[in-house]
Amino acid sequence: MKKVTALIFIAALFALLLYVVASMPTMGDADNPTNSSEVIKRYLEGAEEETHTENVITGIILNYRGYDTMGEVSVIFCALAAVLAVLGREKRGKIYAYTDRSGVPPSVIVKTMVAFLVPFIILFSIYTILHGEVSPGGGFQGGAIVGASMIIFTTIFGLFASSERIPQKVRAPLEGSAVIAFFVVGVLGLIGGGNFLTYAWPDISSSLQPAVVVWLTILVEIGIGLGGAMVLISILFSMIREEEEIAAAP
Amino acid sequence: MGTALNVVFITLLVATALLAVFARDLLAAVIIFSVYSLIMALMWQRLQAPDLALTEAAVGAGVTTVLFVVAIFKTRRREEEEED
Repeated sequence: MKKVTALIFIAALFALLLYVVASMPTMGDADNPTNSSEVIKRYLEGAEEETHTENVITGIILNYRGYDTMGEVSVIFCALAAVLAVLGREKRGKIYAYTDRSGVPPSVIVKTMVAFLVPFIILFSIYTILHGEVSPGGGFQGGAIVGASMIIFTTIFGLFASSERIPQKVRAPLEGSAVIAFFVVGVLGLIGGGNFLTYAWPDISSSLQPAVVVWLTILVEIGIGLGGAMVLISILFSMIREEEEIAAAP
Repeated sequence: MGTALNVVFITLLVATALLAVFARDLLAAVIIFSVYSLIMALMWQRLQAPDLALTEAAVGAGVTTVLFVVAIFKTRRREEEEED
């Protein structure tokens, strides 16, 4: 009986979803509601001039909807705080992970490839962060790539080697850097005579104005990238750690 | 050509989603789920959303897969627990 009810419910949901998809506007149609909206027109036509970024998406996320993004990074930071409150941080000299004690050590080929690739992955993420305003990507994507590269490193070389390279006292202050970068840039705007989070200094000569906006945007991007990377690494470390007295690095 | 590729992608998406749900082995389910994320990243790229494609590839296919695998390694089956 229970199964029949569930099946009927799923079938009804399936039909409803198909109906909604069928009534969605066609992709690329000129008569779509998004094309007649004033907001979209303003974004597409004015973004380059108003935000001095060539990538409209970066302009929308960091300039037009800066407060929204600031709230989002605060949510990510709160999620990390909750995870750490449940799992606890690793303690120095007392940690190892499942991979450290694994009976099957990674082969020389895997170790060499990972050691060779990680610097290039980090180089690519730096490119992604710094070119966020001209190409796809930006702070969050670049930070996620840094985090992923350190996760590869940790799974192969073990938690001990990894937490030697990024010790907790480096990670802990940087985890909040996304929120802090937003606040710092917002206050820098206030100091320059503008409003909070407007990336503009009205008192400065108009020839320097684009450079100010670009550099403040890059500052926020770097903050989001570092913050995101550290959040991902910290969550992984606190998840895989097993605490026990161990003598020295394996 | 473009439509055919879309059909292939959507068929693979539905297939991987169903396989991930019905897989008996949790580890296999997680790996199938990361394949789903990878196809989803290709879909985002086809829908001209490279930002989302980059995020999906890094977070969806990379980071969450590792976290799921770690979670599976840290838990045990209920039967094994009762034997202790």
